[in-house]
Amino acid sequence: MNRKPRPQHRPCQQLDQLSDWRQRLFTRRQLLIAAAAGSLAAVFPQASVATAGSTKKLDPWPLIDAVQQQLFPNEDHAPGAREINALGYLKFVVSDTTLAPEDREFITRGAAWLEDMAQQMYKKSFLALSNTDQEKVLQRIAASEAGENWLSTLLLYIVEALLTDPVYGGNTQQRGWTWLQHVPGFPRPPLDKTFPRLLS
Amino acid sequence: MKDFDVCIIGSGAGGGPVALTLAEAGYSVVVLEKGPWFSEQDFYKDELACCRRSVYTPDLRDEQHVIEDATDNGGWDATPTSESGWDFWNGNCVGGSSNFMSGFFHRLKPVDFHQLSEFGPIAGANRVDWPISYQQLAPYYDKVERVVGVSGKYVPHKNIEPRSGDFPYPPTAEHAVSGWIDQACKKLGYHSLRVPRAILSTPEGNRRSCEYSGYCGSYGCSSGAKGSSRAALLDRAVATGHCEIRPHSKVTRLLSDAKGKISRVEYIDTRTDKNATQKKYLDARIYVVACQAIETSRLLLSSTGPAFANGLANNHGQVGKNLLFSAGGSGSGDFNYAGLSDEKLNALKQVGPFVNRALDDWYTINDAALGKGRLKGGIVEFLFSHPNPTGKANGLKWSDDKLRWGKPFKRKLEEWFTTDRTLKFEAFNDWLPTDDCYVSLDNSVKDRWGSAVARVRIGYHPHDLQIGRYLVDKGEQVLKQMGAVRVDSSASGSPPANLVAGGCRFGNDPGTSVLDSDCRAHEVENLFVTDGSFMPTGGSVPYTWTIYANAFRVADIIKAG
Repeated sequence: MNRKPRPQHRPCQQLDQLSDWRQRLFTRRQLLIAAAAGSLAAVFPQASVATAGSTKKLDPWPLIDAVQQQLFPNEDHAPGAREINALGYLKFVVSDTTLAPEDREFITRGAAWLEDMAQQMYKKSFLALSNTDQEKVLQRIAASEAGENWLSTLLLYIVEALLTDPVYGGNTQQRGWTWLQHVPGFPRPPLDKTFPRLLS
Repeated sequence: MKDFDVCIIGSGAGGGPVALTLAEAGYSVVVLEKGPWFSEQDFYKDELACCRRSVYTPDLRDEQHVIEDATDNGGWDATPTSESGWDFWNGNCVGGSSNFMSGFFHRLKPVDFHQLSEFGPIAGANRVDWPISYQQLAPYYDKVERVVGVSGKYVPHKNIEPRSGDFPYPPTAEHAVSGWIDQACKKLGYHSLRVPRAILSTPEGNRRSCEYSGYCGSYGCSSGAKGSSRAALLDRAVATGHCEIRPHSKVTRLLSDAKGKISRVEYIDTRTDKNATQKKYLDARIYVVACQAIETSRLLLSSTGPAFANGLANNHGQVGKNLLFSAGGSGSGDFNYAGLSDEKLNALKQVGPFVNRALDDWYTINDAALGKGRLKGGIVEFLFSHPNPTGKANGLKWSDDKLRWGKPFKRKLEEWFTTDRTLKFEAFNDWLPTDDCYVSLDNSVKDRWGSAVARVRIGYHPHDLQIGRYLVDKGEQVLKQMGAVRVDSSASGSPPANLVAGGCRFGNDPGTSVLDSDCRAHEVENLFVTDGSFMPTGGSVPYTWTIYANAFRVADIIKAG
């Protein structure tokens, strides 16, 4: 794994993002090289060239929606990905200009690879698989570094949708805060003071 | 006729005191700040803005550092921070990183001003005495309490530094856990110290008092209570009518003449000039540089001139050398909710009031267990984790080195968020100055405007780890005595990027220091440096109070002319 141990002592600052960063870097670099060579299979080694070549026609969002529900399922006492609008939140993330273009590509192209893997394993779309089989596809993906990084990235943004301020589109009706008994700070950001507005 | 009497580059804790003092004295002052000018109306308790997107700091693709850390075989490995993600920026906006500090404030102690005489040399460390004493700085520590606003209560204490009278503001509200710390320390025979805060407990002028939202360290302050350079000093400096602040103004060079005097400053408007094609210039009688230690050294090194082939004020090769960080180690322990009385549970869960507790029993250590006579030690500071729930939750997706998701991940989240509360401590001991910790210019990596970025070597002295270990062991004892579980700690030589000083140390010998005792450059008569760069040794506490105090001291020197 390309995951360097993070520095342990850094008072007054947060490092939680760092390990993710270092880790994603490697995959993003591979992606850029692969994009230059026109081959998705080079990034996601087990993908068949046929499916990889047709990724542009594939709508990634229904697939990502299904993966999010698998990664963060709904339960009676605890919200799932849909209950916190994780998909809508992720669409906001990829539309944000502060996100590096290669990160955006990585998120959407990963869906094509997932679909390819489902076809290879079950001759069916990921969307048509049972929970159990979807989980098996995710396990298979997670066994490769690129796949683990893709799932890790989706989990990062699910967690952001769970615990950041609802003004950003996730955490619907503060369900994330309520479930985890988290007390938010105040004053909370109004719509005209969200971070893209502060940057403009 | 010069454009201004004084040009200050950087608006943080080093720049603000000079701007206010000289503007009040009627000097015409301009402050050039690279970042934007936010106010209380822009600061909300927004984890994405404060901590997960580059809002108050540059995008690392545009502006970065190159960090050299030690390899296992004795070499150095250089990594650009755009690749590592290890961000060394700390708040590029009016007021600088003081906007985002936690504000637990400590003075240096008298012993910090003459460490070499007091403790002797250490092989491999460039330990020196300061050219000034605690007594010379003490009135300015007092001034910071009044002008920036420090809330606290004077309690006689065995190691307390000499001070006059009580604090001008009563202590901030304190968390119940502070009392638990006191009880545990009493049983252990330690002397818990009531830590002052640079946060207003009562309103002052246009600043409201603290509203105890609990989202403080790393967040901008919405009430104005936090003693940032912006809220406490610059807003007032501007109100005098003698101080102009120019945000979005990135200084690229200080131009100097054949006699070695600065003639003018070159800067660019970062909003309109993406390619540095429309450089701007202004001149002043006196130039004050305060860009935080790393960037101050970078600016001087970048500012070559007819009298300075190797950078401004650098004819003795001292600029950038002896960089310091405030570090040592850290630890934590958890207090389980299960089994607590309702009263104690509610007290523990409370969010908002401050912990305000530290231990300085080992500021100097005389312990046969370390076997070396009397040693310089440090402090142990107790605090709750900064409120960054997203960051915390994201870390929980890893189970050892394997990704976890689905219901197992959700159970882990429930466990972390709803079954206990973590109390942390941080140990601060001296970061010994060495030849392996310094700033230079990178040969290949440039910023967005084509200037060489700072390359920072971050080596540490092994002695630091030994002292750090000693201190975190004491912190662990306190947490265990308090009944915490899962108590853990580590000493570390990894530098906290937000607590940095040195690089232009002051001293009496131009051969071994950049600045004289007034913080005027030995080699440049119209240049002063007033951020933490001046510190030749760091002391065993975070630097901010000392930076503020010294900047007020230098401002008085400039005023006296």
